[in-house]
Amino acid sequence: MENIKDYIESGVLELYVLGDLPEAEKLEVERLRAMHPEIDVELQSIEESMWNYSRLHAISPEDSSRDKFLSRIDLKEDRPPVLTMHPKKERTNFYKYALVACVSLLLVSIVVIFNLTTKLKDRDQRILSLETSNQKFANQVNYQKKQVDDSRRYLEIYRNPQQYKLVTLKGTDKAPDASMKIAFDAVQKQVLIDLSSLNLPTIDDQHQYQLWAIVDDKPVDLGVFDYSPSGDGLLSMKSVTNAKAFAVTQEKRGGSPVPTLSEMVVMGGI
Amino acid sequence: MKRAKIDYTEPELIDAVRRKERMAAEALYDMYSTALYGVIYRIVSNEDLAEDLLQESFVKIWNSFASYDENKGRLFTWMVNVARHLAIDTLRSKDFRNQSKTDVVDEQTNLDKDEKYSEIHQDGVGIKELLAKLRPQDKEILDLVYFKGYTHVEVSDELNLPLGTVKTRLRSAIITLKTFFN
Repeated sequence: MENIKDYIESGVLELYVLGDLPEAEKLEVERLRAMHPEIDVELQSIEESMWNYSRLHAISPEDSSRDKFLSRIDLKEDRPPVLTMHPKKERTNFYKYALVACVSLLLVSIVVIFNLTTKLKDRDQRILSLETSNQKFANQVNYQKKQVDDSRRYLEIYRNPQQYKLVTLKGTDKAPDASMKIAFDAVQKQVLIDLSSLNLPTIDDQHQYQLWAIVDDKPVDLGVFDYSPSGDGLLSMKSVTNAKAFAVTQEKRGGSPVPTLSEMVVMGGI
Repeated sequence: MKRAKIDYTEPELIDAVRRKERMAAEALYDMYSTALYGVIYRIVSNEDLAEDLLQESFVKIWNSFASYDENKGRLFTWMVNVARHLAIDTLRSKDFRNQSKTDVVDEQTNLDKDEKYSEIHQDGVGIKELLAKLRPQDKEILDLVYFKGYTHVEVSDELNLPLGTVKTRLRSAIITLKTFFN
């Protein structure tokens, strides 16, 4: 702050206004002026003083000087001076060019946007078809993986007769032609339905088949399953111990706590 | 001859001059010609030459207007410096020295000037009052720089004064102007 005051009082600002400073010092004044308002204020007041001092010395030159000056310079428009602040011609010209520029720009933009949109649609289509085939492929892989898994489990079951007991359930009087196979894993107490072996009467959507195990002469619920003639694979049911026999009844969808004996379709003992 | 004056603010005038409008050229001349002519006349002390230089100055101001930067000072400050340099350069040029008999302006002319000036000056009001306020030693230095085109270094040599004193007197002169015009 003190420095600025010294700087102002050094007289350098007066020399600046009088055009009596070397280039480097001139630039320094301009730099400091932008940074310090008090320098700007001081410079303005010096300029104002010199303006007033000059006006005090003002002398009117010959009138011809004015016309000579005006005839020697290039002017935008050469019509006689009229008291209007805004020359219209120049303006309309400007707007005309601006309008032409805007319209051309708009047209170019529309073409570019149209092209880009077409390309974008094309890309979208390709992405969509790629996604579809990708999904198909993934489904196929999943399906094949499931088939391999199923085959592996079948093989495991048939290779280990000690562990897996294969039980064939035969049709009752209600459905004499019905049959199915169950694998009972005595070690892990697991019950598996061989879906490919199912041969049961078709039932409506309101009903489901329910598997029961007979333990100590009492039915134990092992869960419900849906029947489809083209089923494949192994279906895990609830686990059970000491099962002597298995039976399947037709029950309302969701199953029943106790079997409806009249609706029994297959049964078989171990 | 009085003309209907067009009221431009300084920024408006600057914009209009940049657009090279005729109105702007007229307004620029009407607003600043008497002040510039007064300064030029004091420098060259010759009416015909001063008229020529006034025209040259305005043409130069008009044509080199692109180099004016309003952030660096007022329009008049820039214009008067263009005119002063033109006048001083002319005075110092060989051609002028050769054709002019008053190669060195003698002291008497210098002393006469204020008097001569009051004659030509339109109203002549104020200058005497100001002269009463300005210390002669301050005014001498201000006028050497402003109206004779001396640099402050040349003034220091010429008057055998330390540079610091020259700057102080110059500042003191301008401070007096400031108070006077307020």
